[in-house]
Amino acid sequence: MLNKRNLITYGIAFLIIIALNFLMPRMMPGDPLMAIYGDEALVAMTPEFKAQLVEGFALDKPLWQQFGAYVLALFQGDMGYSYYYNASVFNVIMGSLPWTLLVVGSSLVLSTLIGIVLGIESGWRRGSRTDRTMLAGLMSLNGFPDFFLGLVLLIVFGILLGVAPLSGALTPYSGLSGLTLLLDVLRHMALPVAALTLAHLAGGYLLTRNTMITVLKAPFMLTARAKGLSQKALKYRHAGRNSMLPVLTVTGIWLGRVVTGALFVELVFAYPGVGYLTYQALLTRDYPLIQGVFLIVTIAVLIANFAVDLLYPKLDPRVSYAH
Amino acid sequence: MHIDVKKEIKRSNIGRAGLSLLLLVVVIAVLAPLLSSYDPVQQSAGSLLSPSGSHWLGTNHVGQDIWSQLIYGARTSLLVGFSVGIISLLLGILFGVSAALVGGLYDKIVMRIVDALIVIPMVIVVILVAAYIKPDLPVLILLLSVLSWQGGARVIRAQTLSLKESGHVNVSRTFGASRLYVAWRHIIPDLGPILLVEFIYGVRRAVFIEAGLAFLGIGDPMLISWGMMMRDAMSFSYLNVWQWWLVPAGVALSLTIIGLTFVSHAAESVLDPRLRGAEVA
Amino acid sequence: MLEISDLHVSYGQDMVLNGLDLRLSDGESLAVIGESGTGKTTLGLSIMRLTEGKVQGSIRFDEHELLNLSEGEMQAIRWNRVAMVFQNVNNVLNPVHSILEQVAEPMIEHRLRRRGEARTRAGELLEKFGLPRERFSAYPHQLSGGEQQRVLLAMALANDPDLLILDEPLSSLDVTTKEELGDLLRMTDGRHARLVISHDLDTASRLADKLAVLYGGKIVEIGATREILQRPRHPYTRALIRAYPNMTTVKDLQGIKGRMTRPVSGCPFHPRCTQAIDMCSEIIPQLNWSQGRGIACHRGGIATLLSVVNLSKSFGSLKAVDSVNLSIESGETLALVGQSGSGKTTLAKTVIGLYPEFDGIVYLESEEVTSRGKAFYKRVQMIFQNPGESLSHRLSVLESVMEPLEIQSVGNKEQRRGKAIQTIGEVELPQTEDFLDTYPHHLSGGELQRVAIARALVLDPDLLIADEPTSFLDASIGAKILKLLLNLQEHRGLSMLYITHDIAAARKISDRIAVMLDGRIIEEGPSNMIVTAPEQPYTKHLLRSASSLALSGDGALSDSS
Repeated sequence: MLNKRNLITYGIAFLIIIALNFLMPRMMPGDPLMAIYGDEALVAMTPEFKAQLVEGFALDKPLWQQFGAYVLALFQGDMGYSYYYNASVFNVIMGSLPWTLLVVGSSLVLSTLIGIVLGIESGWRRGSRTDRTMLAGLMSLNGFPDFFLGLVLLIVFGILLGVAPLSGALTPYSGLSGLTLLLDVLRHMALPVAALTLAHLAGGYLLTRNTMITVLKAPFMLTARAKGLSQKALKYRHAGRNSMLPVLTVTGIWLGRVVTGALFVELVFAYPGVGYLTYQALLTRDYPLIQGVFLIVTIAVLIANFAVDLLYPKLDPRVSYAH
Repeated sequence: MHIDVKKEIKRSNIGRAGLSLLLLVVVIAVLAPLLSSYDPVQQSAGSLLSPSGSHWLGTNHVGQDIWSQLIYGARTSLLVGFSVGIISLLLGILFGVSAALVGGLYDKIVMRIVDALIVIPMVIVVILVAAYIKPDLPVLILLLSVLSWQGGARVIRAQTLSLKESGHVNVSRTFGASRLYVAWRHIIPDLGPILLVEFIYGVRRAVFIEAGLAFLGIGDPMLISWGMMMRDAMSFSYLNVWQWWLVPAGVALSLTIIGLTFVSHAAESVLDPRLRGAEVA
Repeated sequence: MLEISDLHVSYGQDMVLNGLDLRLSDGESLAVIGESGTGKTTLGLSIMRLTEGKVQGSIRFDEHELLNLSEGEMQAIRWNRVAMVFQNVNNVLNPVHSILEQVAEPMIEHRLRRRGEARTRAGELLEKFGLPRERFSAYPHQLSGGEQQRVLLAMALANDPDLLILDEPLSSLDVTTKEELGDLLRMTDGRHARLVISHDLDTASRLADKLAVLYGGKIVEIGATREILQRPRHPYTRALIRAYPNMTTVKDLQGIKGRMTRPVSGCPFHPRCTQAIDMCSEIIPQLNWSQGRGIACHRGGIATLLSVVNLSKSFGSLKAVDSVNLSIESGETLALVGQSGSGKTTLAKTVIGLYPEFDGIVYLESEEVTSRGKAFYKRVQMIFQNPGESLSHRLSVLESVMEPLEIQSVGNKEQRRGKAIQTIGEVELPQTEDFLDTYPHHLSGGELQRVAIARALVLDPDLLIADEPTSFLDASIGAKILKLLLNLQEHRGLSMLYITHDIAAARKISDRIAVMLDGRIIEEGPSNMIVTAPEQPYTKHLLRSASSLALSGDGALSDSS
């Protein structure tokens, strides 16, 4: 639900993010400019340019004024410049972001949906062999880190069976378009999405299953049975509809986990999303880029949480906006 | 209501399976020097050798014995896992119990901050920090702890709030007990089952994250970690060495986490009576 | 249409329905009344095949044997032919669907109508039950209890079932809503058969023409509702009606002795029954039909304890009692009301045998009483107007109470003493040594009368004749004695012949009233009828001049007796 409490929370989170981003480089010993840009980049700069930067960042002024300059720059969309990519940080990130969104979005949707369905089926048959097997199976699956799953998938499908591409989001230099382009994209994202989905399936499954167990005991389930409804209707329209609500509440928080997972999975598949970008940035000590990624990713997660809060009352009529 | 969590865990099949796995890992970690013949850090033979009698899992790209690395990796995971688990728990108790008992503005402020921290993905923050500070083991443990106590704090606070109103707690206050006494003598012990569950969650999360960070290349390079092994092995996937290099490390990591998952599931069922009954698993 | 035979439903060791038989024809309405735990909800669930218990027996619905149908076949029957309105508890409706959706759903699911039509029809039903258009898209939690009940009713009628089962449809509703919904349901009379399950007699009388009383998993009485409520024939039914607060009965509320337990054998009610015989604890009685009434009782229902036929007594030329015909049923209180000189006391004394010469016959449980011996006095006892006179000055309390036991040689001295002391406790007197040794002249009027009552009860009689027991006592003391008598009746299953000039008191204590004038019974009937609709002018006169507290013109209270 969206209410004053949540808004304050998001506000505080936002502040913390910005503060962290601002403070990290400036807490380092030594030349702040080096902390902001990394020694490699610094070497390439001319003294005049450096002076310009010092002024731009207000590095010779007290801390709070620096913070002001920083925030101001942010709101103007200026996140700094990446020497490695020779482009503004913002642009670099925006180039990779869509791929990550694609993978994360698909995985989130798939893992939530499949998780809910499995949870409903499992909860419906609670105690049966199917249920126990699914429970043990999914909990075991949950124990595999997403990058390991990714690696296993890569080896099995990519190397051993040779049916999936080993890296990238597109076949390079292929000049495809239209349907074939779409298929190419799908082929490349299949494994990363599969890895992420499998890794996060258990969350939705467990929560739905547990809720299902409680819901099945509710009086309205007896009413529904008395109406002579089919098993399917009872399971999904009545029990399921009620059981999936808790999952949707925590989807926002899980988004953070899936995004984190994407970082690793992109690395495994050399998929050109934000995660892979981050990894490269870490290797090259491209601090502005790292900071930019941090900022964008965390704020994206905040926005997603916000969106879920807005949508939730539409699904659960018992919840209304608090005034 | 007296719940003996440990007994309940042992009673469920899944709980027992989990405990066995964990025990296995712990034993391996403790007996590491006995189980491996080489120092995992030293180069002991040529690079990328296949498994043989002297090197059960062969050697890696630098010539280190993979089996030894696997064994010693258990130590890292467990060390980081349990340390972070404990520190997180302590922080969670500190803030959760105090927020519930003190109430008022303090409670509101603490909870807002907790909620804010929960929304921010932990790993990304660590990546940011690690880019600037190259963390060695103690720093890593501290960092992870500071970022993962929030979930537990919420649960502990909720439980404390309900305990606060319980009979024996109120009675002790009528004897003039201070809040600190009440917290120490009455509330924290009664929180037992919840604390155990939160602790296990914490360990699980920490093992996961430490491996992930090592996989990314963040972390103490001197530390033998399964994540690091997987990272190294990854670059050589095209050579047929993954079977004895990548897979064992991944499986070891996974089994550890699965063990923790199973145990925490069994513990959860204990706390939530609705899940008991026909819960045969 | 619906025929249930020998239905047994058990949950584990607990046999909830124990050989239940029931029949319902098309369009009929039947109420099944039972207190909580008697298995009435289980009955409804069993018909729908929704119970988790083990079901044995037969439930025939038209041509189907419901217990043999597969789940799939049962699904087709549910809601289409048999629909159920569940008890209105929290969450009986799905919280995430609007009420319109929920009412329309069964029509759509069973393919009776398409979506659009179903929603329209659902709207019609909701409106018929008093929910306006604006509320159609509301969710259950936004509705009040009464509104939810309306939705449940509308929903049940959606597929136009042949049989409607209603589980406590009117409980927890305010009176106006009860009336409204009751009338709405009545309007569907004939279209659907109605099986109403309730603990509430008011609901039963509003909604059903026939009534079946459930006890211990069996039907103990069944017949037309009006008739049963006016004249119950089974001891349990009578007790139930007595315990039920309503505007028509006038007798003070009484509970039923004992608690409901499941006896191992015999009639389920026998541990609490006021007229149980040996057979009752051994063999389960079956339903026997006579004159449109089914009763499961080895004694054929409430038995007549005492009856007098053409009883006459004269003193010389004065005919004190003139051809009186009266009967007193087991567990019942008959009040004999009349002014002084009407012959009521004479009648009582004749019955008890203090006037050995009389005309007419006295029957005790259908057997003619030829001599008044110890056997008779073991079963019939009397207490008199003036307790001071009826108790000997020379006997202490304990001795007085023990006297009947000694005369009848009951047990040994220890046992007699024990029994006496126990009975003294029953009449709410102290059981201390001091008190037991007290002599009558130290006791108050109320205490004396209690001692007399104890003495009368010590032989465990079936019938107590009380001749104006409170006329010598203060009003407040008299009230307590009345209460005591009612309690004793409840505990012991006592029958009472209560003789009084005060019709107001008679009203409070009796099930039936007989009005006596000049030696004849001029009017007799159930207390509430006599008091509210008297036929004889004399009766009316008695009522008019009965004690009532009325405000006189200047606002002061006056006792116009």
